[in-house]
Amino acid sequence: MNLSVGRGGLGSSTIIIIVIAAAAIIFGGYVISTLTPSLLPVQASGEAEQVDGLFRVLMFLGGIVFLLVQGLLVVTIIRFRRKPGDESDGAHFSSNLTLEIVWTAIPAITIVFLAIYSYNVFVSIREPKPDELHIGVSGARFAWTFTYEDPLGRLPADGPQTFNDAVLHTYVGRPVVLTMQTSDVNHAFWVPTMRIKQDLLAGRTTDVRFTPILAGRYRVACAELCGGGHGSMFSYVQVYANEQEWMDRFIDVRVERILNPPTDPVEVGRSLLTEGKYPCAGCHKLDDLGWAGVTGPNLNGLADTAARRASTAGEPSAESYIANSVRHPNDYTVPGFQKNVMPQFGPTETEPAEVDGAYYLYMPDEDLVNIISYLCTQSATGTPTCGDTASIEQAVAAQSE
Amino acid sequence: MASISVPMPGVQPAPRPKLAEYLRWSVDHKIIGVQYMATAFFFFIIGGALAMLVRWELLTPALDASGTGSAYNSLFTMHATIMIFMWIIPMFAGFGNYIVPLQLGAKDMAFPWLNAFAFWLLPPAGVLFLLGYFVGPAETGWTAYPPLSVLFSGDGQTLWAISIHIAGVSSILGAINFIVTIKNMRPEGMGWFQMPLFAWAVLATAIIQILATPFLAGGLTLLILDRVAGTAFFDPSRGGDVLVWQNVFWFYSHPAVYLMVVPGMGILSEVLSIHSRKPVFGYKMVALSSIALALIGFTVWAHHMFTSLTPQLRVPFMITSFIIAVPTGIKIFSWIATLWGGKIRFTAAMLFSIGFLSQFVIGGITGMMLGAIPVDIHLHDTYFVVSHFHFVLFGGSVFAIYAGIYHWWPKITGRMMNEFWGRVHFAITYVAFFFTFFPMHLAGMQGMPRRVAEYAPEFQTLNVIISISAFVLGISTFIILANMIWAIYRGKVAGPNPWRALTLEWQTSSPPPAYNFKGTPIPFDDPYGYGTEAANAYLAAMEELMTPAAQLKSGRSAGPASASPEPVAGD
Repeated sequence: MNLSVGRGGLGSSTIIIIVIAAAAIIFGGYVISTLTPSLLPVQASGEAEQVDGLFRVLMFLGGIVFLLVQGLLVVTIIRFRRKPGDESDGAHFSSNLTLEIVWTAIPAITIVFLAIYSYNVFVSIREPKPDELHIGVSGARFAWTFTYEDPLGRLPADGPQTFNDAVLHTYVGRPVVLTMQTSDVNHAFWVPTMRIKQDLLAGRTTDVRFTPILAGRYRVACAELCGGGHGSMFSYVQVYANEQEWMDRFIDVRVERILNPPTDPVEVGRSLLTEGKYPCAGCHKLDDLGWAGVTGPNLNGLADTAARRASTAGEPSAESYIANSVRHPNDYTVPGFQKNVMPQFGPTETEPAEVDGAYYLYMPDEDLVNIISYLCTQSATGTPTCGDTASIEQAVAAQSE
Repeated sequence: MASISVPMPGVQPAPRPKLAEYLRWSVDHKIIGVQYMATAFFFFIIGGALAMLVRWELLTPALDASGTGSAYNSLFTMHATIMIFMWIIPMFAGFGNYIVPLQLGAKDMAFPWLNAFAFWLLPPAGVLFLLGYFVGPAETGWTAYPPLSVLFSGDGQTLWAISIHIAGVSSILGAINFIVTIKNMRPEGMGWFQMPLFAWAVLATAIIQILATPFLAGGLTLLILDRVAGTAFFDPSRGGDVLVWQNVFWFYSHPAVYLMVVPGMGILSEVLSIHSRKPVFGYKMVALSSIALALIGFTVWAHHMFTSLTPQLRVPFMITSFIIAVPTGIKIFSWIATLWGGKIRFTAAMLFSIGFLSQFVIGGITGMMLGAIPVDIHLHDTYFVVSHFHFVLFGGSVFAIYAGIYHWWPKITGRMMNEFWGRVHFAITYVAFFFTFFPMHLAGMQGMPRRVAEYAPEFQTLNVIISISAFVLGISTFIILANMIWAIYRGKVAGPNPWRALTLEWQTSSPPPAYNFKGTPIPFDDPYGYGTEAANAYLAAMEELMTPAAQLKSGRSAGPASASPEPVAGD
């Protein structure tokens, strides 16, 4: 067996060995590429199928490189290990033009192919599709909010033409385009099962497209570090089987609620929170709504804690304590938590000169009244510790001055 | 001048390094080199301890050990910044300082005072950085993207920026010194292409440092101004732009990856050739591919921004990123061809170099995958990326540093390290490294973002495996540390040239005397010309001249080589 490089002229047995080894390595690369589906999450979008096709090719090529290099390395260190007692030098050769051309040219050709293939996939997943469903995405530390229009245009002309939800609702087969903005720092919208990710950039509007192909509920994660609650900034994509189901179970329910708003402030407050109008879910824990945040104080049993803490914080009542915590989060911080983490939710659309919190967000008085009404029901004993609606309105008015 | 305390018959005992000399201002490049290495190793331990805390937190899906999300964020921010700016970069600066002048047969670096000054900038930078813990540490990741880094990070973020500024100045001054030294102080008979490959790698690194670091300095200045002076470079509500930071930051920080890998590649070329007694295959291509990596490395920065950059602008950066694969491939295949036909000695240095090859290639493959925009869109900012860059920076850079320590410690201290414990260190590190970082690929592909203290419960099994392996990896560091210290006091006396290497740093005593050489050393024609009669003759002649008796005789003026230059000039 003559495998020495640099002497020129390969024996026929050498050529046979090289051919067999090459075939084995290529087959190994193929085997590695077949692992693709088990390495990646389920394919829930058309984009996922295209991206995974490219991923499989990269696994194939990467697998070949991996086996080739590790294989050569193992063969080399076994074959050319120093024998005990041998103090002599190795062979003296240091170049082989043919080899050097081969290992420059093959990678060069491969990257041309890869660049063209990747470019095509990229263009295809970015391309606008006909009849796209437009949904707005807003990221705020540490929650996602999605904004919808009624496809049938039933919303009252004098009110807002959109409504919010904390979950992204879509259905199989309809291309979606998301228009995304952030209200504070950069975030990144990522749905692993859809293989899509796009940053939300302060001061810019960005967009991303996908077409769901599989009904189900999939996790949305924030992939750009946005602060202490980054890990808990997640939501879900709810993909319905078809348009009818989407209309029946989501759009119609929400439009109905707008057309015939509930009068019970507790119910209104609850829906304000579940719809994600305000970014509370990422930081607070509240079992009733399925919130699991840890950045801010736990809201389970808030009605009781508020009544208990009111006097410490210098507030006359539980409702007044909660109103103060929202309107002036820096006034009194629960032990173990810091100032300037929670935004100030103020009563005016224009930001005041002095912000009393991490940053400023607008929350009208009526929303706050409804939210407090709901939060006051969160009591271990089941009895609300706050006063009636009039008393809550009074507390809110006092805090909004 | 020369302070060789001789004369025991037989082997010359190496003078034991005096601790006090290393704590003082000194313009001797050998002292400075050790000062860099000791400082870097100190920060390596701190950075490693922070990584252990990160892994401790990630044992469970809930936020628990670190208390708050912000505290957790500061852990990985400090870990990354320390490992990059206080460990890998200064450690290679240490090797460069100690070894390059010796490899060039020079008495010292071109600007000894500047050299000392560059080093002494580092300890204050490191201290300032750690002081951040007293005023609210930086908690934005080492990438410090605004608006987060302007609006929501403690005053430690400002200290962070100032200390990197200082480390950057140190880096630029060091780089100027290396370029001038390598350009001007090569001995007669050493052309560019007879220069050892480690010196080539340091040259390429210095070029990157000079071209890239000022951009980082510019970006940091803007960040500091936004934080403390109310400017709005990165505040869109007042006309700023957050992508400006990302572009400027990565214009430095991508080349910085090569800053951290290319010197390691230089070490690899030395060790693979010397410990297999075989010429470096494709010497010129290996040397030039370092320069190619350095230059192409400047054209790929926006591949870190494939989910934030305007979509049309992403494509050119994908193409340049793919091109990087070509010089990298040349290097990897050349190294394997270097071993092919050699007589491989499985010393600890060689084992870590082989380890580098086998781990780094995984980092290279995942780098290609991340270069493809559609795949990167899925994998960007996930644990797949964390895995990728640890395969490059730990499996690459740190393995190379370990190889360099085992290879050059005998030169630096005059004593051999314990080879058995070196092999134990390698075996534990190699396995623990793999099981720490390989499973991260899987977590990332399946959907675990990076930089999170809380994660979906289905990732817990992987994370427990990763954390336990990480703890083993952390502990394994103390094996080499103990070995290094043990060698100083108990190690076998190394003699001038324990590896019988041809490069000039080995043609003087260990450790070298003040001003390095007695007389002017004459380099062998081909720094890796193993396997020739001429090389053996050169080594034999040098050995003869390095015996204590010869040293004494030639003590008047003549250098070792000048005694018989003709036979050693080689073919």
